[in-house]
Amino acid sequence: MIRTIPLKALIVGLIAMLASACLAQEMRPHSILVLDQSDGGPFYHQLFSGLREVIGKHSDVHVTVYNESLDMSRFGGKAYEDTLKRYIKEKYQGKQIGAIVSVGAGTTGLVLNWRDELWTGIPIVFAMLDELDVARLKPPPDVTGVIVRLPLADSVKVAQTVVPGLDTIVLVGDDWDRLVVFRNWKDELSTVAAGLQVIEMVGQKMSDIRKRVAELPPRSAIIYSSIFSDGEGAFYPPFVALGMIAEAANRPIVVAAETFLAPGGIGGIVLTPSLIGANAATITLRILDGERPEQIPPVHGGVKPIFNWPQLQRWNVSETTLPEGSEIRFREPTFVERYRWQSLAIAAALLVQAGLIMFLLHERHMRHDAEVESQKRMTELAHVNRQATTSELSSSIAHELNQPLGSILTNAETAELMLASDNPDLGEIREILADIKRDDQRAGEVIRRLRGFLKRTPFEIRDIDLNEIMSETFKFLSVQASARNVALDLQIAPGALRVRGDAIQLQQVVLNLVVNSMDAMTAVPYGRRVIGRIKLNDGSSAAISISDSGPGIPPDKLGKVFDPFFTTKDQGMGIGLSIARTIILAHKGQIWAENLNNGGAAFHFTLPLTA
Amino acid sequence: MSARIYVVDDDASFRTAIERRLKLAGYQVATYPSAQQLLDCLPDENEPGCILLDVQIPGMSGPDLQGRLHELGSVLPIVFLTGYTDTPTTVRAVKAGAEDFLTKPIGSEQLLGVIERALARHATERCERQKLAEMRALVADLTARERQVFGLVVRGKLNKQTAHDLGTTERTIKAHRHQVMEKLKVRSLAELVTVAERLGLLD
Repeated sequence: MIRTIPLKALIVGLIAMLASACLAQEMRPHSILVLDQSDGGPFYHQLFSGLREVIGKHSDVHVTVYNESLDMSRFGGKAYEDTLKRYIKEKYQGKQIGAIVSVGAGTTGLVLNWRDELWTGIPIVFAMLDELDVARLKPPPDVTGVIVRLPLADSVKVAQTVVPGLDTIVLVGDDWDRLVVFRNWKDELSTVAAGLQVIEMVGQKMSDIRKRVAELPPRSAIIYSSIFSDGEGAFYPPFVALGMIAEAANRPIVVAAETFLAPGGIGGIVLTPSLIGANAATITLRILDGERPEQIPPVHGGVKPIFNWPQLQRWNVSETTLPEGSEIRFREPTFVERYRWQSLAIAAALLVQAGLIMFLLHERHMRHDAEVESQKRMTELAHVNRQATTSELSSSIAHELNQPLGSILTNAETAELMLASDNPDLGEIREILADIKRDDQRAGEVIRRLRGFLKRTPFEIRDIDLNEIMSETFKFLSVQASARNVALDLQIAPGALRVRGDAIQLQQVVLNLVVNSMDAMTAVPYGRRVIGRIKLNDGSSAAISISDSGPGIPPDKLGKVFDPFFTTKDQGMGIGLSIARTIILAHKGQIWAENLNNGGAAFHFTLPLTA
Repeated sequence: MSARIYVVDDDASFRTAIERRLKLAGYQVATYPSAQQLLDCLPDENEPGCILLDVQIPGMSGPDLQGRLHELGSVLPIVFLTGYTDTPTTVRAVKAGAEDFLTKPIGSEQLLGVIERALARHATERCERQKLAEMRALVADLTARERQVFGLVVRGKLNKQTAHDLGTTERTIKAHRHQVMEKLKVRSLAELVTVAERLGLLD
């Protein structure tokens, strides 16, 4: 006996354990019935999508989802409820339901009432009940679900954030009793709104509401619960009603559901249906997979601070003042965000262009510098060349100076002698003194001209007459020519030929060409002759030629005579002609050399005339 | 009679100055701005004179004018006066018989000294030329036979040799010789030889 008793006890224990194990591990039918209070609006659609998404991801077994929308915001009453119960009872007779998901307080209330009759022992998962609802409905321990916390206080806080110095809140919605989600705000109102003016636009006609929200005082904000009807018999989904109100409102509208953002709500701590759906689905799946609902405590969640970017802009609300973790919706992408590749391309193009412009500017600057430098160099070289030429021309200078000095000396001596005589002719002495003065000025003029010629002057453009330039230079060279037994002949143009240029440098060109010609004739025994000619070329330029009766230029050297350091002379440096060319090019002219038919060489240059 | 100075210079101021000074020194002065104008109106060679010539003058140069005058048989002394002296021109001018080559500015004392010397030389030369001309005239008066005798005697031939050369007697030669000395107005054989030499008959 003693042995049987323990055996019995063992068997009973085993059975009990087995039963409990079976109870714990009981696999429920993989199908659920989702009951909501929807009217078919987007809120419930999103909630259902969130739920389906999680259910769909359930890996092991396919879960069948049935869905009934009870449309409790538009219909109600005992008869309706009874009809619904009968309808559902008959519809789902014979269907294996693993769990009921009830969305909203109204639905959950009905489901709990119907449970004993329709779904004995079937777990119930509620969604979107707030704590007050839970307290009111007192669900049994095997009923669990998702509790959302959606106090009016949150919306008021948001209103204070978006309207600094808020003094009035405007509550817009259906009659409190008709509301299925925000019903509890009524009880909260007195505590939350302490210190604030409250305008209640509850259960009013849409047309009146629209009129009144257009004339709200400053420092007020609208808090929208939900409107399902216009009070005159027409029904809307609440987001449509919100759109109509937002259109007319002159103040920001704080909302408490994600689906109220798009129609014109500025945002708030909002119900996020997809999140609620997902949470409910997660719990449901755990139950279907065998967990006991008593062991799954209700979860909190399903609200989030979300704001509407265009509305924030409209009411000039800075993002930084929003609650931490706020999500901003409908942010207009910036140009760069919207046209990312185009922007990059434009930026790149601008960059390349800017680089190019910088490069060109730099190059322009460099070229300008180089031009200035080159002109400076030319001026310096021309100066050196003039100095060299001048030493060659010392005879001319001496002659030019000695001529007036000779006259002065002779005149002075004459005057001296006349004064020493008994009866000096004062009239003649006066004349002599005048002559001395004039000759002295002449000598001074020679010195001045010479200094001008030798001065290191910067390139100076003036209006000058080529005839004058040529005459003066030939005169300057006459002594030298005579000493070298060279006849100088100048044929100038009848009228003045005016060009823009540097007189000294152009004189230097003529001087270099003539000296070059004279040098070329050193070996010619007789008939040394240099002829200078100036004539109008074609109305727009003047042509000047310097020809000689020398041996000419060897044909193979014709192209080289203007090269720097090219010379055929024993003591030449080869810079005279190259400087002549540099100067002529700087005057926008042309210069070339040719051999004459009757022997001798001719150098030509042209210069553009002033218009 | 004062000498005449011919000034050729393209510098008007200098022409005036030098004209004043030369006139003050007692000379007659003629000025020309170019060589051609002097050639158009040649100076009188028989009067005492001197040419003051600039080197650099337009058209014909000083040295060119010098050559041209030389070709025309002028013996007037030429003094070059130039603003600048270069060696080749100087050498050329002096070789061609220039009296002097001066550089402006020049003190009038020095210039007048040069002019005086040139005039003196010209005067001597002129005197010399006159004498030669006279001698040439005298020689021209000799008969053919007398000229033959004159030619042989001044070459140192004895009367006998001369007579032999000419195929006549020593006595006849003596008579001719006497006649020649009479006509040429010389008293000794030495003088006769000098005349022949100066007339260039001994070459």
